[in-house]
Amino acid sequence: MDLKKVAFSPDDASNVVKECIEGIVGGVDYSQNKVNQWTASIVEHTLTQLVKQGKPFKYIVNCAVMQKSGAGLHTANSCYWDTTTDGSCTVRWENRTMYCVVSVFAVAIAL
Amino acid sequence: MDDDQSAEELITESLEAVIGRNPYEQKRVNQWVSSVVEQCLGQLSKLSKPFKYIVTCIIMQKNGAGLQSASSCFWDNTTDGSCTVRWENKHLYCIVSVFGLAI
Repeated sequence: MDLKKVAFSPDDASNVVKECIEGIVGGVDYSQNKVNQWTASIVEHTLTQLVKQGKPFKYIVNCAVMQKSGAGLHTANSCYWDTTTDGSCTVRWENRTMYCVVSVFAVAIAL
Repeated sequence: MDDDQSAEELITESLEAVIGRNPYEQKRVNQWVSSVVEQCLGQLSKLSKPFKYIVTCIIMQKNGAGLQSASSCFWDNTTDGSCTVRWENKHLYCIVSVFGLAI
């Protein structure tokens, strides 16, 4: 059994996230009716793709979509974990009518 | 669950203490977000439970814009959990989420 601890790779996760966002809200305008489905789809698809990688991690995927209307938005996160194995990555994306911020947190499972 | 209840109270207290009735101020909101997450995390780690924690905070100015937030988690349902608090005052909305993963 391989007991080597695998560290989280933010770059890999970042690419997975960007593809998921583009796939779901790529060319569309903000729509109040659909935004609920979009955020749910983005987190589910991202999670599925990450889990497929088969790495020994628990994942949390968080997505916020905001309409562009001049309002200010600030986000922050703080984590209490094992810094050698756990990690996170945040992707900020926008188009003409909305902002999208997706954060992935990966916590290593002790094998 | 008792744990979720006290996490919720913990978060609400941090928000009241850091932001309270203040209006949205672009210059200060950066400090507020950081203070809220740090304070929550500090209080949670004081509980000395065998958990790793992730705390996230979103603050948005009340301006008529729509904001939607979602989370999806891949973990052990029997031991891990989360708690989300939606809070507001006259000038801003705030969403704080705490995720606890068993060690």
